[in-house]
Formats: sequence, C-alpha cells, structure tokens
Amino acid sequence: MAGSVSSVYLQVIEDVINKVRDEFINSGAGEIVLGELQALWEARMMQCGVISPNMERALLPKQAGLITPVHDLNVPPVEEYETPTAEMLFPPTPLQTPLPQTPLPQTPIQTPLPGTDQIYNIPTGPSDYAPVSDIRNGGDVKPGRPTPYMPPPSSWMNQRPLGVDVNVAYVEGREEVDRGAPHQPMTQDFFMMSAGKRKRDDYAPHMTSGGFMPQQDGSGDMEIEFVLPKESQLSSIGNWGIITTDAQSKVVTRETPLLPQQDGVHDEYDDLFHYQGVANEDYNTPTPAEHVDLRAPTPLVSTPKPAKNEAAEDEEPPLNEDDDEDDLDDFDQGEEEPNTQHLVLAQFDKVTRTKSRWKCTLKDGIMHINNRDILFNKANGEFDF
Amino acid sequence: MATFELYRRSTIGMCLTETLDEMVSNGTLNPELAIQVLVQFDKSMTEALENQVKSKVSIKSQGHLHTYRFCDNVWTFILQDATFKNEESQENVGRVKIVACDSKLLAQT
Repeated sequence: MAGSVSSVYLQVIEDVINKVRDEFINSGAGEIVLGELQALWEARMMQCGVISPNMERALLPKQAGLITPVHDLNVPPVEEYETPTAEMLFPPTPLQTPLPQTPLPQTPIQTPLPGTDQIYNIPTGPSDYAPVSDIRNGGDVKPGRPTPYMPPPSSWMNQRPLGVDVNVAYVEGREEVDRGAPHQPMTQDFFMMSAGKRKRDDYAPHMTSGGFMPQQDGSGDMEIEFVLPKESQLSSIGNWGIITTDAQSKVVTRETPLLPQQDGVHDEYDDLFHYQGVANEDYNTPTPAEHVDLRAPTPLVSTPKPAKNEAAEDEEPPLNEDDDEDDLDDFDQGEEEPNTQHLVLAQFDKVTRTKSRWKCTLKDGIMHINNRDILFNKANGEFDF
Repeated sequence: MATFELYRRSTIGMCLTETLDEMVSNGTLNPELAIQVLVQFDKSMTEALENQVKSKVSIKSQGHLHTYRFCDNVWTFILQDATFKNEESQENVGRVKIVACDSKLLAQT
C-alpha cells in the first residue's frame, strides 16, 4: 500500500512540475527554480516519510542529478541551503579581486540592522564575524557566507569597478580602515548610523563599554590582536560597533512585543537608548538633567510613531497587553486541541442519516492515519451519533 | 476544470505549500507563480486519485460521531474510535476528522 501511495505522489509531483514548466519559463523563473521547487518538495516528502529516496531515484532517473545535491543541503535549514550554492556559483571572484571584496561582508552586516529581523540576525551574526576578521587578515579567499545576500553581492562585485556609488559612505570608510588610516570618526559614524535612532556621540562609548556581549567581543578582540597588531585598535572598535548593534537589534526585537505599552510611557527615552533592558537600569546612572535634555528634543525631531497617543494613557496599555497575550494563548491551545492528527480528505457522493445512524459514501480520498498516508478510490462510512 | 483546494491539506499538499512559502519568502519564486503551482497541484492530485487509485476503504465508528457539520458544501465529521479497513489492513484511531467536498461540484464543470 505504502509503495503505491508514494508512486502516486511521485507521479503527482512530476505531473505538476511538467505542467507548470511553461509558466515558469514564460515568467522568467526558469528551469532552475523549477528544479529547486521539485527538489525541495521531494525532500520535504522524504522527511515526512511518505516517499523514499530509493523509489524516487528509480522512478525519476533524470531528476536524480538535480535532486542529490539539493536534497543533502536541504536537510538543514534554508540558510544553509543557500550558502553552498552561492559559494559554488562564485568561488573564483574573491581570488581575483580581494579589495572589492571588502564591501562584501559589509553588506550582510549593514542590512540586518534596519530590518531588525530576528530570524535573519541570528544566523548571520556569527558567520559575519568570521569573514570580517578574515578580510582583515588580507582578503582571504573565503568571503565566508554572505548568507541570504549572495545575489546582491555578486552583482556588486561585477559592477564595482564601474560605479562605486552603491554605498559611498560605507565603502570608502571600510577601505580606509583596512589600510590602517586614522579614521576613528568614520567607524564611529558607522556605528551611530547602524544604531538607527541614536544620534548622540556620548552614548556610543557608553554602550560599547557596557559589555553586553562578553563572549563575542572577547573572541573578536583576541583574533584581531593576534593577526594585525597595528590595526587592532581600529578594527576592534569597528567590530565592537558592529557586534553591539547586532545584539541590540536582537534584544530589541525580542523585547518590544512583550512590553509595547509600558514603553509608551518612557517612549522617547527608549528611542534614545534603543535598548530597553539596559535603558531601565541606566535610567538611574546618568544624571537626571541629562534625561531632561535628551527627552525634550526627541519628540520634536522624530515622533512618527503612534506611541505618542498611547503614552497619553498610562494605565490602560498594560491591561490591553495582558489581554492580548491571554487571547493568543487561548487561541493557540484552541487550535491545537481539535486539530486531530488523523485526517481524511475526500469528496462525498452521498451522505444520509436515518435517526442517529449516518452513512456516507466518499471517493477520491487521502487519509492520514497513524502517520501513514492511505489513498482510496471509494470509502463507505457508517457512524452513530 | 474545477478543482478543490481540499487536498492541499494532505501530506503532499502541505509539503508543497511549505516549499512554495519558503521559496516565495526568500525571493526565489514570485507569488503568482506559486499560486499557479498550487492550482496545478489541485488538478493533478484530483486526477491521480480518480485515475490511479482503485482501493476501497470502509470506515466504521465503534464510538460515536462526535461532530457533523455541513457548511459551504463541505461535510465535516469528527469520529471517535473509528476503524478504517481496506483490503490489506485495519487501522484504529481514537479520533479522526473527515473533510469531504461535494463530488458533484467537480462533475458539473
């Protein structure tokens, strides 16, 4: 039974792929994307255990070439899948142009900051770090993994000699730092910009010296100092800046959904610090006078947020927040409980009832029962209510 | 040809949906194309079930029919202690949900 189910599934996959091929080609997506779709789909099916790799190779020998590489890479999460492909596609370029390489690791670092996408930040954080130090060592071949951002970097690498204006500020600053030129202000600027809303220079050293990320900083310092002693100060500052902001954005994304309304009260304050947990602690540390100064200008300069309205009502927001969380919890539980794992999907021909006795005839069904898929052409059901 | 989106909830359909989600969200695939793939899946799955599957199953409930519902031409049953029998095997489940669309809707078009 299982064998026939998976053969039906494989034929469905093949049928779908063949019939959308024209649309893929016409729309410009192309065969490669189609092959990727098929490979990913089949890989997921294998993970679910509804088809087996052996069956697949026997039935679809022509796709075997496509499947094998992608399938292996797919078992780990998506990011990992993308990375090797990118490396396979663009291995020689870094060798030829080590200098243009410099903006390359830069991109993954810059881009997550405005986005503050949590999923995105977590995988890139550590991988970004390695390339940065590598390049400091002298443009090493492996740009590491500009993880999901491979396509943009590749085009940059091609366009680079022609038009450098893609991101003027960063590129120039970066290169000069590499050469060991005295550009502390440059790195500081970069730090400030990446931090988003923070605009006061006073708080850059404050944040860096806070030591929120002990492990990452420690390792970074070690590496750089070993390799390039003369640049160690500059590069370490640059790294500090990068890492701190990364971590900040992570923390912020994690915390904001939890305490949105309470923030409303101290909203301007949080905008300045951009780091809630510490913001609350630091609140006592600097002198109150500073806070007045800081809080006064911010609403004038930048208040595009609805938080202003919420700030007016001090007591309601926390209540609402709690309500939301409760609702969400209930909703989740409510969804899970009735969602039975055993499921029959079919078409009905006839459903009749005599008193409490129900009879139904079903056709063309897929059953998922006891972790097995069963297909049927006809099914008769008799139930008592 | 009319199709049901019903089968998207099956294992194969969920695998496809997740794959498409992933490819759309990482920018490999544009959403319109993904929808076309799903529509094609509806067709292909329906055809495959019609033409390639010959087996019969009987469903009985020793316990009782927990829920019945007919809404938007879709029957939903939730059975407790049901037995599924086909030529080869018999499976017992404590609780199963049956979702069935009207086969006449397909035949009409």
